[in-house]
Amino acid sequence: MKDFLQQKLVPFVLKIVNFKSIQAIKNGMFYVMPLTIVGSIFLLLANFPWAPVVNLLASLGMIAPFNQIAGATFDIIALVAVVGIAYEYCKAENLGGALHCGIIALASFLILQDSFVITDAGLQISGVLDKGWLGGKGVIVAILVGLLAGKVYTFFLKRDIRIKLPAGVPEGIANSFSGLIPALATFVIAAAVYGIFKGIWNITFVEAIYKVIQIPLQGMTDSLGGAIVMPFAITLLWFFGVHGSSIVSGIMQPVLMANTLDNQAILDRGLELTVANGGHVVTQQFLDQFITVTGSGMTIGLVLFLVIFAKSRQNKTLGDLSVVPALFNINEPILFGVPIVLNPLMAVPFILTPVISAVVTYFALYVGLVPLFSAVMVPWTTPPIISGFIVGGWKTALLQLIVLSMSFFIYLPFIRSIDKHNLAVEKAAESQQ
Amino acid sequence: MALKVRVFCNAGMSTSMLVTKIKEVAKKRGLELDIVAFPLAEFEDKSKDADVILLGPQVGYAKKDYQGKAGGIPLEVIPMVDYGMMNGEKVLDFALGLKK
Repeated sequence: MKDFLQQKLVPFVLKIVNFKSIQAIKNGMFYVMPLTIVGSIFLLLANFPWAPVVNLLASLGMIAPFNQIAGATFDIIALVAVVGIAYEYCKAENLGGALHCGIIALASFLILQDSFVITDAGLQISGVLDKGWLGGKGVIVAILVGLLAGKVYTFFLKRDIRIKLPAGVPEGIANSFSGLIPALATFVIAAAVYGIFKGIWNITFVEAIYKVIQIPLQGMTDSLGGAIVMPFAITLLWFFGVHGSSIVSGIMQPVLMANTLDNQAILDRGLELTVANGGHVVTQQFLDQFITVTGSGMTIGLVLFLVIFAKSRQNKTLGDLSVVPALFNINEPILFGVPIVLNPLMAVPFILTPVISAVVTYFALYVGLVPLFSAVMVPWTTPPIISGFIVGGWKTALLQLIVLSMSFFIYLPFIRSIDKHNLAVEKAAESQQ
Repeated sequence: MALKVRVFCNAGMSTSMLVTKIKEVAKKRGLELDIVAFPLAEFEDKSKDADVILLGPQVGYAKKDYQGKAGGIPLEVIPMVDYGMMNGEKVLDFALGLKK
């Protein structure tokens, strides 16, 4: 069984997660995070749940500047993603000029957008970009364009099809020239796509992808099925020793973020954020605060057992060194130390705990016991309960407390049996000496 | 000259815990050691003049790619249980064993 896992299944899983495109999306989306976290601070201040704070800020004329920050961070995540994904794609190929590739992707993304808006009164205003398509609604196109630009760029450079300059020309200058042919090719493709969609259906490619791919993807993610598949995939990958949360959340982040921003848009329109008003249940916070909280597999219950009840010396040591990282949602010591990786016995509670948490959380949010999430986000390393309180208030924090307590009871029978086993091994080793 | 070890994992967070442990061990042994943890994304910049490169087990899947990028610098994945138990003693020996 273990041989089969290690020799057949693990290499297969590794091959998939090693796909260049998957790595590029995951690493490229990383550049979006600082924007949304810092944007969250100002969004939270401008919409502070205690009126006197908002009134004070308003009297100081600070609401508008704060909204500028939120608007220039959340509203441009697709722009940042397209640059980041193309950049990371090229960087992994080690051909040089990765930033050129990122900028080619940026220009191509803009080629696909209209450069005018039509007002409600039917007036056309030229020379502007509609911010509505540069944020959450443009993320899937950003992925497509980022990958395309990366692929075109590396295609030409790998075959050494470039404008060559004599030796001795500085590398930076040579790079900018070698980017010309891939830029030309990418722009022509983008312009052709824009022309075709505009000519035949009179919509932009960005709008088409949004309607045909992104809305269904957002819908699938925002369902009980989606809520279950995510923790399942994360823990399954971790079982194979792969950093599951970074891969799954990396890939899902564009869609989850789009759901988060849709929710904020409902609030911005002055409506109540409910499922009936089109609010999404499964968002970035759903993943960070209810699926990977205290680490993938929500192992806090296991850590508590090790600290308080473990009898084996090895387990006690492991427990002590795992407590502090667990509070910051890091649990590699547990995953590799117990171990949970490639350990079929521990796979059961490891997969079960976050899946059950997802189901409980889904229903609590769906029926309105706990509020849906706005765009306020915290870094994933924010300790539990505090993170829940910031992103959703006391009800959210309480729900976190409930699902985390549950973790203890799900892990209990399994870790107790491992502890007994380790204790027996330790005793046997001692009596031999 | 201090031995230069670079350790990479996903975000450089859990690995930095291990690095702290390894430093303690090196200090006890009176060993001159320059060891730092970084996220894998910074591999190109930070691995250049290392003597030994270690990867956390959670990014072990990328070993082949990074072995190529490391040129001739010895690169290995830290054994899983030593990593989990944050066993500075064993991982330090492991790194020393890789040194050419």
